[in-house]
Amino acid sequence: MMSLVTDSPVHSSSSDDFASYLDAQLGSGSTGTSGSSADDETDNESDHESERIKRRKAEKLEILEEPEGSTSHEYSEQILDSEQIVETTIKQDSCSHPGSFGGMCMRCGKSLEEKSGVTFGYIHKGLWLANDEIARLRKTDMKNLLRYKKLYLILDLDHTLLNSTSLAHISSDEEHLRGKVDSREDVSKGSLFILEHMHTMTKLRPFVRTFLKEASEMFEMYIYTMGDRSYALEMAKLLDPKREYFHERVISRDDGTQRHQKGLDVVLGQESYVLILDDTEQAWTKHKDNLLLMERYHYFASSCQQFGFSCKSLSEMETDENEGDGALATVIGVLKRVHTIFFHELEDELAGRDVRQVLKTLRKEVLEGCKIIFSRVFPTHFPARQHQLWKMAEQLGATCTVDLDDSVTHVVATDAGTEKSRWAVKEKKSLVHPRWIEASFYFWKRQPEESFSVDQKASS
Amino acid sequence: GRHGFVVAITGIENIGKGLIREGTGYVTFPVKYQCVVFRPFKGEILEAVVTMVNKMGFFAEAGPVQIFVSNHLIPDDMEFQSGDMPNYTTSDGSVKIQKDSEVRLKIIGTRVDATEIFCIGTIKDDFLGVINDPAAA
Repeated sequence: MMSLVTDSPVHSSSSDDFASYLDAQLGSGSTGTSGSSADDETDNESDHESERIKRRKAEKLEILEEPEGSTSHEYSEQILDSEQIVETTIKQDSCSHPGSFGGMCMRCGKSLEEKSGVTFGYIHKGLWLANDEIARLRKTDMKNLLRYKKLYLILDLDHTLLNSTSLAHISSDEEHLRGKVDSREDVSKGSLFILEHMHTMTKLRPFVRTFLKEASEMFEMYIYTMGDRSYALEMAKLLDPKREYFHERVISRDDGTQRHQKGLDVVLGQESYVLILDDTEQAWTKHKDNLLLMERYHYFASSCQQFGFSCKSLSEMETDENEGDGALATVIGVLKRVHTIFFHELEDELAGRDVRQVLKTLRKEVLEGCKIIFSRVFPTHFPARQHQLWKMAEQLGATCTVDLDDSVTHVVATDAGTEKSRWAVKEKKSLVHPRWIEASFYFWKRQPEESFSVDQKASS
Repeated sequence: GRHGFVVAITGIENIGKGLIREGTGYVTFPVKYQCVVFRPFKGEILEAVVTMVNKMGFFAEAGPVQIFVSNHLIPDDMEFQSGDMPNYTTSDGSVKIQKDSEVRLKIIGTRVDATEIFCIGTIKDDFLGVINDPAAA
């Protein structure tokens, strides 16, 4: 296509028409050909197309409420300008509308009705992206991945990184905590905070600061909580006072696309590179394979009650989860292993690697080589293979069976008097409580069978 | 307001009769006044300060006006770099756009509603881009 910027006399017919059209519109006297219709018919498709687009742009400028001082010369310069923009982004119809801000296309400025896409209000108010653009951004981000060797990590807040309670629900045994809260001045030193304006007291999980620091070197991190936006932002300030870990990546329930579900549709990273840390499996039904399920952190009495535990809470007993081998310390080790395997041990192209595969493989190592039979653990007519514990054991790499034979290595029971239990003791097989499977799951490591023997009464 | 952001009131034409609101006891007066408003126009060239940079582009503000420049309208030779201070940089590193940079941009779309003004901007044209950078063209 020709460029109108040069004043050369070599025009195609459309340029002449345009100049005359301009003159006619601006009423500054025209000397060119009156109409362009005759010439148009002889033009080829693309000329005709760009002619129409130029007309549209000229019409748009008509609406501009420019001060009267503008001369027609300036107008034509502006039209030339926008014509250049149109020419560089020319498509059959018009712009592909990759997204919008304040309801206007971010590429051409036109007002948009939303087609299929996702609102990204947590990044900036008014931002919306079309599905194609989201896919494109996810792909191009792979370059950043490789350069910085980082995957994506989505972190839940409540019961995973911290525990909050409403001030109204503080028990009498917890009242002493009011005097022990840490200052909000220098948040990085403290772990127990009161947020008066939100009527909330929050306790950060032990090890969380080290966890965040180490994880930030391997992952681009997001917060994703079912709390509302103001809660999410306050917690982000406590966890990340220097705004170095999350930046604007704080997703709250106001940003999700579905009511009671969390989804990766609001995350700008490929699913195959995303890991999730959350204590609630049901929130992530579509992305179970990306999830590292966390043991719940119950610090406050209200939290214990909410989940049906009648014991005294950590706060009431003035104790806390062990920093060195608590859930966060354990999981950072697993995350490090996944990261190392992903970037240094997988052989295929980056585009083909999948972090979910790595997770599956790591899980299968935990109870590798175990053959498990269950004794009176499942309700009588419940199909064994559907049971949580069965599936959990298989995820961990164990083989589960209903047939008792010599290859069985573990009998899982709650009662030492059952036939299979007594068989286990006689044949010197391991007899363990179901908690042994769960503990191995949460610790990502096969637990010592002796700690889960069956004649022990279950302790809280 | 829908005419733009009121910068200063230059005169009051008249103040009508007050109406006492039910329940609160507050009084409402209809006032006719003249004022200077600020509003952006399509095609206008503005200088703005960058407030946020990310993989989609960058956000800037010029007074009360929020402007978004998508990466589609950032010159192709500028690439996004993530990190502590996300930025867009040319391949030779001579020009960098990051938070608090000043940029000259062109408005290609604006929307004014009751409480906010949104704009779409571009820096893909000549003479647009970072100001105040000694290395800039």
